[in-house]
Amino acid sequence: MDEQFNFRKKYRNILLTIAAAGLVLTVISILIQTYGASRIWANVLLNNQYFMGIALGGAFFVAVHRVALSGWHTVLQRLPDAMTAFLPVAFILMLLIYFGMNHIYAWANFEGHNEVLEEKKAWLNIPFFFIRMIVYFSGWIALTWLMRRSSDTLMTSSEMKYQNQRRLFACLFLVFYAITVSTSSWDWIMSVDPLWFSTVFGWYVFISMFVTSLAFITLLIWLLKRLGYLRVVREDHVHDLGILLFSFSIFWTYLWFAQYELIWYGHLPEETTYYITRLKDFKPLFFINLGINFVVPFFGLIRFRSKRQLGWVAIIAIFLLAGHWLDYWLMIMPGAVGEKAGIGILEVFMTVVYASVFIFIVLRSLSVGPLVVKNDPFIKESLTYES
Amino acid sequence: MSNRKYISISFNDEVPMLQAVRKLRDSNETILDVLSPFPVHGLDDALSIKRSRIPVGGFIFGALGAILAFGFQAWVFTIDYPLIIGGKPYFSIPTFIPITFEVTVLFGGLSMVAAFLIRSKLKPEIEFESFDERITDDLFVILIDSGEEKTTVESIKATLSGIQTIKINEHTNG
Repeated sequence: MDEQFNFRKKYRNILLTIAAAGLVLTVISILIQTYGASRIWANVLLNNQYFMGIALGGAFFVAVHRVALSGWHTVLQRLPDAMTAFLPVAFILMLLIYFGMNHIYAWANFEGHNEVLEEKKAWLNIPFFFIRMIVYFSGWIALTWLMRRSSDTLMTSSEMKYQNQRRLFACLFLVFYAITVSTSSWDWIMSVDPLWFSTVFGWYVFISMFVTSLAFITLLIWLLKRLGYLRVVREDHVHDLGILLFSFSIFWTYLWFAQYELIWYGHLPEETTYYITRLKDFKPLFFINLGINFVVPFFGLIRFRSKRQLGWVAIIAIFLLAGHWLDYWLMIMPGAVGEKAGIGILEVFMTVVYASVFIFIVLRSLSVGPLVVKNDPFIKESLTYES
Repeated sequence: MSNRKYISISFNDEVPMLQAVRKLRDSNETILDVLSPFPVHGLDDALSIKRSRIPVGGFIFGALGAILAFGFQAWVFTIDYPLIIGGKPYFSIPTFIPITFEVTVLFGGLSMVAAFLIRSKLKPEIEFESFDERITDDLFVILIDSGEEKTTVESIKATLSGIQTIKINEHTNG
C-alpha cells in the first residue's frame, strides 16, 4: 500500500536523451527539407492540442467520477492527477503560437474583403484570442491544482468538510471545462478553416481528448506494472477502463458521423468545403482515421474477456493514441497547410519530442507522493472492487 | 420434478448469504438455486456458474440485422425502386447508416430477450407457487437439494453455525 514510484535517474536519462535526440532530428529535418513555416507551426499546434488534451481528459476523468461519488477509480486516481501536471507546460507552449499566427490562421492579419471574416472579427482577433487562451489555461490550471491539493488534504484528514470541498472543485471544473473545451476547440482548431463551422465540433474534440486520456492511463498502468508497481490494480479496474474506452470510441464515431451526415445531406458549399479538402487530397488517411478509431476498438474490445486483459487493452490503447493523433492531424493540417500537408519525419520527430517530455513530466509528478492514495474515503471500495 | 425435496435457507442480507453459499459448497451440498432481489457481486463465482452465452447470440443476430437492413436498403434504392432524393446517387451509404444502426440494435436486443426466455423456459402458462412472499421483495434464499439422507435441516444448521439466517425450512415438491 505504501508504494512510492521511484523515478530513477536511468529512466530520467533515457527520456531526456530521447527528447534531446528528437529535438535535434526535428531541427535537422526542418533544415534539410523545405517544409515551409506553416507546416512547422501547424505541427506545434497539433502536438500542443494533443498532449494538452490528454492532460485535460485526465482531469475530466477524475472530476466526473468524483461528482458521481464513484469509488472504483480511486486506486488509479494518482495517474490522471499526475497527467494534469503537464498543463502549465502546455500553457507556455500554446503561447508560442503567437509567433506563428500568420502561418496557421488565415484570419490573423487578414487584409482584403470578406464578409464572413469581417462578421467574425469580433471573436477572431489576435488580442481576444490570447486573452481567451489565458482565461482557459488559468481556469484549468487553478481548478486542477485545487482538485489535486484537496485530495492530498484528504490523505491526512477525512473530515466531511474536505470531502465536500473536493467535490465542489470537481463540479466547478466540470462546468468550466464543458464551456471552455468547446470555445477552445473553436479558437485553436476550427478557426484553421475560418469560413467553416460545425456546431458539434466542441464535443467532437472533447471525445478525442477523453479517449486519448483513457488510453494513456491504460498504458501508464501497463508500464508501472511492468516496473513492478501498482499490484493493487486488478483486472476488475482494467475492465472498467476497457468499457470506457469501448463506449467512448463508439461515441466518437457517433459524433463523427453526426457531423459528416448532416453536412453531406445539406450540401451547402460553405459547409462541404471542410470535407472536400480532406477527401480530395487525403482520402486514404480520412478512412484510416475511421478504421483505427472505430473498427479497431469496437471489434477489439467487444468481448468480455478482452476488456479484462491489460496487455490487450494496452495494444488497443496504442492504436487509439495513434488514431486520435491522426484525427487531430486531419482537423488541423489540411486547413492550415493545404495540399502540401503530409506525415513525414518532421511530424514523427516532433511528436516524439512532445511525448517524451510529456511522459517525463507525468512520471516526475507521479514520483512525488504515494502511488496509491492513502486514507481516501473511497479507497476501501476501490481495493475490493469487483466488476 | 415429482416429489422433490428441498431445503430453503433465508437471509436478510447478501453478505451472510454469500458466506453461506461458500460454506455449503465446501461441505459438498447441492445448491439448486439462489434467489436474490438484485444481482449480487461475486455470487456467480461462488456458485461457479459459467458466463452466459447470450451476448454471443446478441452479436450474431445484431450482425444479421445489420446485413439485412443494409442489403434491403441497397436493393430497394438501386434495383427495386430507384429514386433521386436531394440529388444524391442511388447507392449512397451515409443515408443507409442510421437505419442499419437501428435494425442492428433492434435485432440484437430482441434476440437476447428471446434467447433468455427460451433458455430459462419461461412462457405465459408457467405456474409459480412462492413459499414466502418476501422472495419477490427483499429476501435472499438458498435452495438446497435434500434428496440424500445425510442432508437435513439439522445438518444444515450445524454447517451454517455463526452465520445469521432468518429461517431454515424443508419443502416437498415446490
